[in-house]
Amino acid sequence: MTIRLVMRTKVALFFTFLFPIIFLFVYSGLFAHGNTAAVIYFFGPVVTLNIMGSGFWGLGMQSVMQRERGSLRRYRLAPIGSGTMVLSSLLANYLLGLPTIGLLVLSAMAFFRMPLRMTLLTLLVLVTVGTFAFAGFGLTIASIANTMQEAQVYNNVIWFALLFLSGVTVPLPMLPHWIQRFAAFLPATYLVTSFQAIMVRGESLFAHGAEMLVLLVSGTSGLLFAWKLFRWEKEEKISRRAKLLSLSFVIPFLVMGVWMNARGNLTAAWADTFSLMSRASSAQEEDTTRADGNLLEDFESPQEPEILLKRWQISTDGGATAHSLGELDVVSPGAAGTTHALRFKGRVEPAPGPDHGYVAVRYTFSLTPRDGGPRGIQFEVRGDSRLFQVKIEPPTSAPAVPTLSFVPDSDWQTVRLPAAWLAKPDGSSSTGTTWVLEILADGPPGDFKLDLDELRLY
Amino acid sequence: MPNENNSALVHVEDLHKRYGNLEALRGITFEIKPGEVFGLLGPNGAGKTTTIEILEGLRQPDSGTVTVCGMDPAREKAALKERIGAQLQATVLPDKIRVEEALELFAGFYRQSASIEMLLERFGLAEKRRAFFEKLSGGQRQRLALALALVNNPELVLLDEPTVGLDAQLRRDIYALIEQFHTEGRTTLLTTHYIEEAERLCDRVAILDHGLVIAMGTPRELVQSSGKGTRLEVRLAQPVLPDRLKQLDAVVDCREAEGTYFLHAQPPARAVAALIRFLEAEGNALLDLHITPPTLEDVFVEMTGRRLEE
Repeated sequence: MTIRLVMRTKVALFFTFLFPIIFLFVYSGLFAHGNTAAVIYFFGPVVTLNIMGSGFWGLGMQSVMQRERGSLRRYRLAPIGSGTMVLSSLLANYLLGLPTIGLLVLSAMAFFRMPLRMTLLTLLVLVTVGTFAFAGFGLTIASIANTMQEAQVYNNVIWFALLFLSGVTVPLPMLPHWIQRFAAFLPATYLVTSFQAIMVRGESLFAHGAEMLVLLVSGTSGLLFAWKLFRWEKEEKISRRAKLLSLSFVIPFLVMGVWMNARGNLTAAWADTFSLMSRASSAQEEDTTRADGNLLEDFESPQEPEILLKRWQISTDGGATAHSLGELDVVSPGAAGTTHALRFKGRVEPAPGPDHGYVAVRYTFSLTPRDGGPRGIQFEVRGDSRLFQVKIEPPTSAPAVPTLSFVPDSDWQTVRLPAAWLAKPDGSSSTGTTWVLEILADGPPGDFKLDLDELRLY
Repeated sequence: MPNENNSALVHVEDLHKRYGNLEALRGITFEIKPGEVFGLLGPNGAGKTTTIEILEGLRQPDSGTVTVCGMDPAREKAALKERIGAQLQATVLPDKIRVEEALELFAGFYRQSASIEMLLERFGLAEKRRAFFEKLSGGQRQRLALALALVNNPELVLLDEPTVGLDAQLRRDIYALIEQFHTEGRTTLLTTHYIEEAERLCDRVAILDHGLVIAMGTPRELVQSSGKGTRLEVRLAQPVLPDRLKQLDAVVDCREAEGTYFLHAQPPARAVAALIRFLEAEGNALLDLHITPPTLEDVFVEMTGRRLEE
């Protein structure tokens, strides 16, 4: 009946089915930029957020609301006990949550090409244990709160702590070390990190048996509290002693937190999962860019600076006395009606001695089998009528690397590098290896500026 | 269904219940026989709801003996709930539950249940079977609450203020439904603070005040035992002092309000004759005379000095 009633309530339908999907799009779109590797990483937090929401705001608040509204009184006249009431609400919450999880999985697979890197049985176990644990949380709060307002206060305090300190929103490795240590005491951490370790690192569910056990214990104790402290009417108030007793609910988390911290490699494992995701994400980012014909870079898609700078790096004349400087920026507009271009600017300042200074920007890329045989590279440039040199360094050292000079003016113009430059000296396949395109400003001392765009194979 | 045994279906003896400093029940005693409609009449705060909730097993008495259908409500809750049906003062159900679903849901909680179709027809809810609870009027909600009380075909029905908050017409509709309980021989306990309800529906009434039973019997017995007698409402051509009317033969009491004299007389015929003789002797004239039999309200006022709805 509870399920039927939810289906008839627009607000409940929204929060049960649509809201989690919105979160999936927010996480996958904003945080993961649609990058599959990152979507895989953030899928656990999305599922955990959904499970937490149904436990705290669905099941827990629903119980308090029914009591405050007086609708439990009628049930009290029937030959059913508090245990039946608690178990039936728990079951309804679980059955309502399953289709939502299915919807999340299907949406992530359909819209973000996310592979489900676990068996359906593993997913079911994670979701069941998680739902049970957070239902226990919601029911415990509902048991000790005398009013809706009181329940909201308890819920908010715990909700926000779990939301921001357990990897549900902010990835744990991005938090200060001491917060990561604290996160080991939070149940949401167990579910999030188990999901991530299984999805990203390919670990088995059994490797996270301890986390599952603690979540099961907390769910069971929540259920017992809800049963023993169940109140049919709002006039019945809970004693201070019972409230204090309910604090024992946190004991499993304290034990688990101490154990996880004592193990030592706690934060390292989380950081490793995160960096695995980041590396896979960068590789995919590169591949995605290449998916547009022969385009290597157009600077159009929203990119985090750190991702951009992984492929584009500045180098200068070096040496302790060098004074040359260079920096990269994304500017508007780009070439051929596009929105963005990469700006390489700085100042050439000779160091004392015979060598004149220089500043170079280096772009690392590789060719894939899809690109076919050796091909040339071209890019659009504009600048301040200063001389630049460009060359491509092969993956293996070569006796002499050809260089091309160009003097860009304020209009966009195309620079083409011959296909022979991307052929290996020994004639072997040039795919799968790393090449470096270097553009060098080494003319007379002074400021320089070069805009680059539409870097592609031709 | 009705208990064939003639012994009391409900037995309450020296029942006490206290909430903090408030003594809600101060030792009440009564019995309800099978097939009887028994009323607990009293003002708000008299202890009616506390009594009915103890009988339902929802509250524990501090002391005293309670037996319902041969069971102790505090110890044999589940078994007792199978045999009783109850209606709360205010029944709240989920907004989006349909009438038919509510009956089916609650019927599912019991080992045996009445026919849902029969209940829908009997309580005039057949046309509203698909309506959500939130869309029902006050009268329809109360009829649904009564139908829910019968969903397990109980031998004892406990109704807590079944018509409170309803207008006069809706109250009469509910009375007709409760009268059917009596026709079926179903034992019923109802609490009320409406005189009309107690007089019309109840075989016997216990009047409660401040947690005590101050009078008990059939409505007729209670009224006849009242020393106040029949009420005469009199309007005269010329004013007289109420004390002079009070001295007339068979007049028990007299008070005046806005030109109308309210006399209580026993027996009334002798008082009317004495009044006419008095008016002739005084050169006064009778403009209007209403004779109304005494009510339970009069009994309550006589015993407590207060009106029921004060």
